[in-house]
Amino acid sequence: MTIMLTLSAFSIGIVGAVPLAVGLSSSNILVRLASRLFVDLVRGVPIIVWLFLLKFGIQIGTFKFNPVGAAIVGLGVVSIAYLAEIYRGGLQSVPRGQGEAAHALGLTGGTTFYGVMVPQAFRIVSPSIATYLTGLLKDSSIASTIIVTEMVFQSQAFARQHPTVEGILPYIMVGILYIALSLPVAYLSRRLDSRMRKAVSV
Amino acid sequence: MTLSEIADGKLAPRLGIKLDNISKRYGEHTVLDDVSLHVEPGTVTALIGPSGAGKSTFLRCINLLERPDSGTIQVDQHTIEPGKDVNSRDLAALRRTVGMVFQSFNLFPHMSALKNISFPQQKVLGRSKEEADERSRQLLERVGLKEKADQHPGKCSGGQQQRIAIARALALDPAIMLFDEPTSALDPEVGLEVLAVMRELAADGMTMIVVTHEMQFARDVSDTLVVMADCKIIEQGDPRAIMSDPQEARTRRFLRAVLER
Repeated sequence: MTIMLTLSAFSIGIVGAVPLAVGLSSSNILVRLASRLFVDLVRGVPIIVWLFLLKFGIQIGTFKFNPVGAAIVGLGVVSIAYLAEIYRGGLQSVPRGQGEAAHALGLTGGTTFYGVMVPQAFRIVSPSIATYLTGLLKDSSIASTIIVTEMVFQSQAFARQHPTVEGILPYIMVGILYIALSLPVAYLSRRLDSRMRKAVSV
Repeated sequence: MTLSEIADGKLAPRLGIKLDNISKRYGEHTVLDDVSLHVEPGTVTALIGPSGAGKSTFLRCINLLERPDSGTIQVDQHTIEPGKDVNSRDLAALRRTVGMVFQSFNLFPHMSALKNISFPQQKVLGRSKEEADERSRQLLERVGLKEKADQHPGKCSGGQQQRIAIARALALDPAIMLFDEPTSALDPEVGLEVLAVMRELAADGMTMIVVTHEMQFARDVSDTLVVMADCKIIEQGDPRAIMSDPQEARTRRFLRAVLER
């Protein structure tokens, strides 16, 4: 459940953040302000509050979020906001000459963005994205508070059902499990990063 | 005529360019004050002058990297008035006709040298990958860098990068080439290899406009020397005549500073 939750929210974030990042660096002031407002609003409220709002605060007709749905949407939207900010930073750190060269060659806006800017920005931000992913993996534990049966929830339940076992043990186990899950992410990200750096030493 | 001649771009039409009454302001600050320049097909124009004179801005106005506030640009059959709305078809046509080389090369660092040259051909001219790659290899050979095709720009020296950038611009068969201080970021020795490529290009009859501090190149290669200072063209004409006998005091002062150091 932890892995499912993390990956779903991360997928929502990684895709949804693209238009938002474009909005953040838009030359249209209204679009920029709206995007900025969204990002600051979402980032300014703790995840736990978002999850409670989504789970208990939203009712459209007969529709109510179930715990898992609320957790995925909540973590997903928060991911969109954080990743958009990471993308924006990456896009802005691509030298201005790159865009100019693309325009001078007559490349269209779309080709310039996806063929020239994004690949370079991705190289710059890939370590930040990996850091965010590890953070998200751990933040998914907050979903236990709205009764999603992810790892922390289960260790709590286990602790409650087996009062004879040393109370701390399940939590040590779950801690180790989290480390076991985040290590591969860190490792893969470092490998990816060094490979890309080797290919493009500017 | 053979196919290879067509592929070589030897039949690309020789075009000139006419710029009239170009003005550009940033807020209160005037950068270009009613500048006009006519460039004949197949000629080389060198733009010189003190920094801040507006040379680079003027050059960048030609392909609308900077948008002039007023004036007209005439290339081929197209007349563009940048002060008004420019439709995207005209803009695309202009940028297809005019190639540009930058001081800082601006190669795409995430692509190999070959891909740098092939990618725009595929996207702008719709050439297939094979056609584009073949043309790219021809051009790399022409600028003396055949063996660098699979290297990324980061692995190439500045002079090599600039020659790849020239090849990238040439691959789109432009009729006019703009050079914005192409050797200013290079060691003097390395700059020579870039200048050699430019001399060859000029000898082939390419219409070129070159912003430069290389006085030797300006004197030997250009057909017209244009001196800019204080947002205006103050003098233009035969390079040797201007260099040996400048009419304007400002030109004299500038030439003394660059030639007698």
